[in-house]
Parts: sequence; structure tokens; C-alpha cells
Amino acid sequence: MTRMTATLTTLTLVSMDSPLDAGALANACGATHEWVVQAMALGIVQAQSDPATPQGWHFFSQDLQRAREARRLEQDLGVELDIAALILELQLEVRRLKAVLAANGH
Amino acid sequence: MEFKDYYKTLGVARGASPDEVRKAYRKLARKYHPDVSKEPDAQLRMRDVNEANDVLRDEEKRAAYDALADRVAAGGKQADDGFQPPPGWDEGFEFHQGPDARPAGDAEFSEFFSSVFGDAARRAASEKGYRARGEDHHAAIEISLEDAILGAERQITLRALDREAEGRAAVVNRTLSVKIPAGVRPGQYIRLAGYGMPGRGGEPAGDLYLEVRIAPHPLYRVQGLDLTMDLPVTPSEAALGAKVHVPLPGGGVVEVTVPPNSHAGRKLRVRDRGLHGKPPGHLVLLVQIALPPAQTEAARKAYQALAQAAPLNPRQHWPGVQT
Repeated sequence: MTRMTATLTTLTLVSMDSPLDAGALANACGATHEWVVQAMALGIVQAQSDPATPQGWHFFSQDLQRAREARRLEQDLGVELDIAALILELQLEVRRLKAVLAANGH
Repeated sequence: MEFKDYYKTLGVARGASPDEVRKAYRKLARKYHPDVSKEPDAQLRMRDVNEANDVLRDEEKRAAYDALADRVAAGGKQADDGFQPPPGWDEGFEFHQGPDARPAGDAEFSEFFSSVFGDAARRAASEKGYRARGEDHHAAIEISLEDAILGAERQITLRALDREAEGRAAVVNRTLSVKIPAGVRPGQYIRLAGYGMPGRGGEPAGDLYLEVRIAPHPLYRVQGLDLTMDLPVTPSEAALGAKVHVPLPGGGVVEVTVPPNSHAGRKLRVRDRGLHGKPPGHLVLLVQIALPPAQTEAARKAYQALAQAAPLNPRQHWPGVQT
């Protein structure tokens, strides 16, 4: 059964002006704060400000995208986060090369 | 709504062991993962495979799904408006939102999944008096390149769960009117606070994240912040150099100098005319030579005169080939 509702709403763009803190990043990819700390240590996400303390971490769209991909790899393939990080790097390299080919008209 | 046979999707028997489920999933993931698959419908197939795996690898969900499948099989054919989970089908089953579980409202999963497992998980949680902030919800929004550069107001329709008066779960198409800011980039996230899954026990709702995707454009290809477009020029423009006008994605035209002796594939860069950013991307023009057809006597003579005036053998480096 499907019904429709319509709402006018405002939004924020995840950007330099409105970054995500570690808690928001954890919520956004269904993870814990400790998971974000581990993802930082593995280089999956890279906080753009004061990296010394998790309270000062700021994340942007690219971090959220990578964090979500890493979570998916962990869940779907049942692999440890360090293996997910490796797969993620290889996956991104494949996409980058495909994009280069596409940009050159192939 | 259609009842989904998750065992069929993964190609395993009803009694398959967790190891067999995992092996079947990995085999199909290799076949259909969009990054490596050559199958035309890879993305759709991968979604189905992910969804089936999410249920069958989870002991609680799998047991509840098996019970539901048995009831459906015993109940004969589906109703005219498709499959609806029978009331109380999940009694006796517990659903835990563990660290490895996908949100029940994952927009990448089917209406069947959201309806069956989203409602069951929420009911189980509310019966236990559980308090928790609602899960964040994710969806993608595809916009045109022009809208990304100039901004636009767009309506998006999202699938969400709601409860009808008689307590049965209903899938609601929630339409949101959102104002997309100018300068948004592909892969950037738009956050709508409070539009995720409802909270439990009085806790606030989660947020909705929309991932921006740029629809394919007939002229421009997006690579990071750069935009690439083919620049067709005539042989004389390529050889002698020329000034040509190039349309910009945000409107307007820019004059570009094609240097003399440009070859096909040469890249010309129009600085800072790509997507917004700090620093902004560039517009990259890929020179392509468009040959005038030799359809008239005058054109044929012109080509012959060119061949005599500027002889060239472009295959001279091929081994064993003289002409």
C-alpha cells in the first residue's frame, strides 16, 4: 500500500561551512565512534582539522562516501576493516582509471 | 509488492549452511559488482544479491523470513494488489540492530525488504521500550550538470515506512521539495536533518543524506571537478590554427584559440571553467578532426592538391608496410 505526502524543506550541504563531526559520521554510516577512530587510523577517512583529538575532527562528503563504502564491504563480504580499506583503494583506482578513459573519449 | 525468493536470488537451497550462503554471495558479488561486471543490469542484480545476503546471513532475519515464506506458501496465491506481510507474521522473532546490520530503510533495498524488516524491527524495538535516535537514511539524487552549476529547486520522492490506522505498515512515498545550492559537486552530500528513520522511545529522528549524482550530459563529461568536452575542428582549423566559440555549461560562450598544427587528441584547457571548488575545476577540450566529405569535384581536387603540397605517410613507422 503506497501513500503520498509532500513537504517543503531546507537542507545543508556537507562542506567546509557544514562539516560532519565524528559522531555524525558514525551515525551516517551506521557505525560507532570507535569505528570512526579505526577508519581514521587506516586512512579510510581523513579529518581535515585538528587530527590530535577526535572531538576536533571534521569530515566532508568524500569521507562519508569512503566510510559508507568501507562499511558495505565489511558487511557484505564479511571482511575485517583493514581488508575493506585495501579493497576500497583498489576499487577507487579502477574507478579513477575508468573516469580517465571516459574523459579521453573511450 | 512482489514476494522475493532470496534463496533463488543467491542460488542456494533452503537448508543452505551459513558458509554456503557466504560462498554463493561472494561468487555473485564477483559476477555482478558494478566495478568489475560486464553485465548490463549489474547494478540492479547486485542490489538484489546484497538484499538477499543481508537477510540470509542474519540468523534472526533468516528464521523470520523462512516463517513468512512458509505462511505465504500455505496461503496460496498473492492478493490482487500483490504481496502484503500477514498480520503478526513475525511474532516470536527478535530483531536486533547490530553493528553489521543495514538500516531497515536502506533506500538501496526493495520495497519488500523495507516493508517486512523495517516494520518488524521497529515493532520489536518499541515493545521492549527501547530508546534510540533514528537511523540516518541515505538516497541519491541525480541532477543535471546545469542544475549543479546554477542551483535548482527539485522535488524528490523517497520511500519510507508509516503505520496505518489499523496498525499495519504502509510504504509511504514522501515527496520533498529541496533547493539545491549552486556549485554542488558530484559525490557531495546534502543533509536534511530529521528526515531519516523515526526515533524510538521519544528520541529524535535520524537525518537524511542525499548523494549528488550528475546525469550524463550530451556535451560534457565530468571527471572530479574538471569537465571534458570534444572540440571538433576542421583539418584547416587544426593545421592553421583558429579561434572557435565554445559553449559553457553554466551558460555563455568563451572564445578559444586552437594553436596551429593541433593534432587529434590534443587537450586545450580553459582555466577555472569546470565545476565550482577551491580551486575550481577546468574545462578540458579534446581536439577532434572533422573531415569535410570529398563529395564534389572541387573538394576532391582540393584534397589531391593538399596531398601533393603536404605529402604525409601517417603509417611510416609500421614495420613491413611501405605505403
